[in-house]
Order: sequence, then C-alpha cells, then structure tokens
Amino acid sequence: MKLATLSESPADAAAVRILVDALLGEQTETISSALLSPPGWPAVLDVLPNVIKHLHYRTNADALVVVVDSDNSPIHEQAHDAPDGVVDQCKVCLLRTTIKQTQIHLQPVVGRMPVKTAIGLAVPAIEAWYLCGIVPHATEAAFLQQPAATLREIKLKLKRDVYTTARPSLELATTRAVGAATRLAHDLDLIERLFPSGFGVLARDVRNW
Amino acid sequence: MIESVEFKNFKALRKATLPLSRFTLIVGPNGSGKSTAMQALQAVGKLESLDYSKVITAGINPSKQAAVQVIVSWSESLGRRVQTVATWPARGTPSREYPGSSLTIRKNFEQTLRALRIYSLDAESIAEPTQLQPRMSLASNGAHLAGVLDRLRDSAPERFEALNKELGRWLPEYDRILFDTPESGHRSILLRTREGHHPIPASELSQGTLFALALLTLAYIPDPPPIICIEEPDRGIHPRLLRNVQDALYRLSYPESGSEARAPIQVIATTHSPYMLDLYRDHPEEIVLAQKVGLEARFERLSDQVNIDEILEGARLSDLWYSGILGGVPLHP
Repeated sequence: MKLATLSESPADAAAVRILVDALLGEQTETISSALLSPPGWPAVLDVLPNVIKHLHYRTNADALVVVVDSDNSPIHEQAHDAPDGVVDQCKVCLLRTTIKQTQIHLQPVVGRMPVKTAIGLAVPAIEAWYLCGIVPHATEAAFLQQPAATLREIKLKLKRDVYTTARPSLELATTRAVGAATRLAHDLDLIERLFPSGFGVLARDVRNW
Repeated sequence: MIESVEFKNFKALRKATLPLSRFTLIVGPNGSGKSTAMQALQAVGKLESLDYSKVITAGINPSKQAAVQVIVSWSESLGRRVQTVATWPARGTPSREYPGSSLTIRKNFEQTLRALRIYSLDAESIAEPTQLQPRMSLASNGAHLAGVLDRLRDSAPERFEALNKELGRWLPEYDRILFDTPESGHRSILLRTREGHHPIPASELSQGTLFALALLTLAYIPDPPPIICIEEPDRGIHPRLLRNVQDALYRLSYPESGSEARAPIQVIATTHSPYMLDLYRDHPEEIVLAQKVGLEARFERLSDQVNIDEILEGARLSDLWYSGILGGVPLHP
C-alpha cells in the first residue's frame, strides 16, 4: 500500500507510519514523504483540501493518514459517526467533512480510486501516546479530567516526560517518537484500550481500508 | 542572565523596558526599536562606542540636558537582582555603575557585557578566506568562519564531527566541511556534496547555505559569546529549515536540553518570519512584541498579555500577529 501522512512534524509522521504499518500488518510504501503542515491545527485544516487534490491528481497514493493533537477540542465519539451526528468542534468530524467535501468535487482520473483516509486524534497531544504503557496516567480518560485552562502546562509536561526537555531538537523528537511507536506497534491493544477515542478512531479507519 | 533592560532617551526607546528570557524572539515592525535595543545593550559594555548626539531621542529639547540611560537588570545565580546602570550625560564622561554590587559581580558582568556580540550575517563575509590567528571568533557579519571551523576541527574534533552530522540533516545534499589553503596562513571552506563527493567552494554556495553554516557553527563551538544578539536568523533560509534553526538557537540557550555541557548562552533574536514565530507558540514567554507609538517604541512580552492562552487557542500565532490583535505590526500599513 502506498501511504501519505500529514502532520505538523516529521517526528510525528515517522511514528504514525510505524503505527499504521502495525495496524495493517504490512510495511507501507512512502508517498509524498515531504508532506508537512505548518505548525498549528488551523494550518492542518487549511492545507488538507489541497493535499487531497495533490494526492488524487498527481500521485498514485492509496491512502492518507492525518493525526492531530486534540488540545481543548472534544473527543470523537461513535455517536458522531451517525448521519446527523457531526459535531462542529470535533476535529475528527471537521477533518472528515473537509475530506468528504473535497473528494466530492474531484474530477475522475482513469485508474484512480479516491484516496482512503484515516484520522487520529492524540489526546491531548501525541506525546501522550508515546507515554502509553510507561506512566499510569497516560490515558485519554486521565487527560480529559484535567482542566482545559492548564493545557499549555500539560503539553509542556508531556514534552518534558517524553524528551526530558520542553524544547527537544528535531533529532531527539524523532528518536523518541520512533522508539515509542516501535514499542506500541507490538502492543496495539494497550494503546487502543487506553486511548479508545483518538487512537481507536484511527485504528478503525485503517482496518476498514 | 539579563532579566530586563530599561532604556531612557535612547533613540526611539525614550522610555521602554525590554523583558528577556534565556531565549527571546522579538517581533515588530521596521523601526520599532529591535535593533536599537541590541545596540544599546552592547553599548553598556563599551561606553565609548556610543556618541551621545547620535543616540539621544529625536525631539528632546537640547537645553534640558537629558541623559541617555540604559539599566540592565540581572538575575544572579542566588536569585538576587543586580543592576548595571549606564549613563551618557549630555556633557561629560559616560559612566557605568553597579549599585550595591561587589567587585567580583561587577567584573563578571563587565566581562559578559564586553563579550556580547550582535550578529547580522553577510554571505560574502562568511565565504571569504580567513587569515589564521591563535584565537578565532566569528565576526558580527560572519567573517572568519573558515578560521573558526579550522580551529574547531583541530581543538574539538568531536564537536566538528557532530556539526558535520547536523549539517547533513539541515542540507542533505552536503555531507562534510572541507578546508583549502588559498595562501600560506589562510583557510577557506568548501562543502562536499553527498553524491559524487564534489567540493563546492564557499564562494559558490547559496546565501542561505552560508547563513545556515554560520548559525550551526555558533551552536557547536565550545565557547560562544555569553550573550548573543542575532538579527533575523531566518534570513535566506527555507521555512522548513527554521525548525533546525530553532534547534541551533535552543542548543545555545538551553544546552541541558541536548548533549551540550557548557553554560547557557542568552540569545536575543529578531524576526519578521511568520513561520519562525509559529515555532514558538508553546513558549509565549519567549516572544516579545515591539510596537512603535508615534516616535517611541515599546516592548511587551506575549505571555504578559491579558487572557493570552484564550486568545491563542485554535489559531496560528502568525495569523494573530499579522491581524494586529497581538500588536507588533505597523500602525498604518
């Protein structure tokens, strides 16, 4: 399978690829490995329609994976998947709606099916996934109980816990991300159990391809 | 570390205070006092370098005999705040005082201020061959880079190798810094291409490549200046490489974050790059907005703004900056 990823950091992209390969049980082939969003959630949402078009018209990519931090947004619940269940503030719903609306308007290309997509929501940030199984409080439920006002402090603490610094270099971030993803790839049940919404939705999307 | 710098009657900084962190990124419109603040700070260490008539705020009545003053507030290792007060009177000799400080502290701060360096890199100067000296340091415009790298290779080979590795991550088309001897006692640098191992002389390298090499060198030398002011470290560098530039700057100011063993370097940088600014969204305490109000300039730390977390939520920092709601923009674009 030829796979493209869209994330804010090459370190996250490397980790996501390992996790998706584990979910699929096969090694995917990299397409458009250079796809990066500028930092910040709004940039991911802004650039996504163009990424979909690029992959459809200019590549032979089979699938696209997008992983974003939840920050203070609501988690994605199964009720959101119902026909009238889309929640405006839910990042998974927003990304799915954007993908759907973009793909509706794509011109057909001979021999091309629409790119399959999967979306992950890291609650509250992807470093929480990296800590899964390492520290007991690294669970979606625990992070959802934290007051929203302290999000920045929580995210900085997560960074310190993962990288031993709030200012990791790209090299360090990539090393730790790949290490954590490789560990979790052998224990997908654990991360699906502890991050049932944000990682669960990614796992379900990927397995439905 | 310098915690803040207070300016009185210094060019556009008639009455302004610049809050500083270990790393500070100043954004603001042209002429909003960013470079002036660096110049003033440097002048505290070199009182004689400053000509009163050239720096006194425009419009101040000469008959008032107003003094130019720069007050540097330091935090000592024991947490005590100590000040350096530099005064340039309208007539007479400039002075530097350290109210209530011991001779040791005074000497220490004077040494630090004298060693402060402002970098405004220039590609041609970076590429120039260097005459080797027993002690080599990177000049403000990036000159002497070849000599600094030559010394680094000889005196700290492990650092030189680490720099080569990092260079390969920044600019994957190159894998090594090479040296040439254009004439006796001189050095010039070349970059070796990863494919084919072709040596490319510095004079043939792009401006951005030379700027990147100079920034990397600063981050990897064992003894950078204790305070570094750097004008637009993003200049000429591809937006995607700015994450690496951030790493290099943090390597200076937060050495404990990496494998660096030396003392932290205080870094003050300026930028007009929205991409650069976005990289600091998790650290609003490191961003200072410069704003011009009439003929005067002011500074404000982003994290000091009211309800800033709420304002920043769900938006790109650069978009908010551009919109003007954070300040730091031209008043009448």
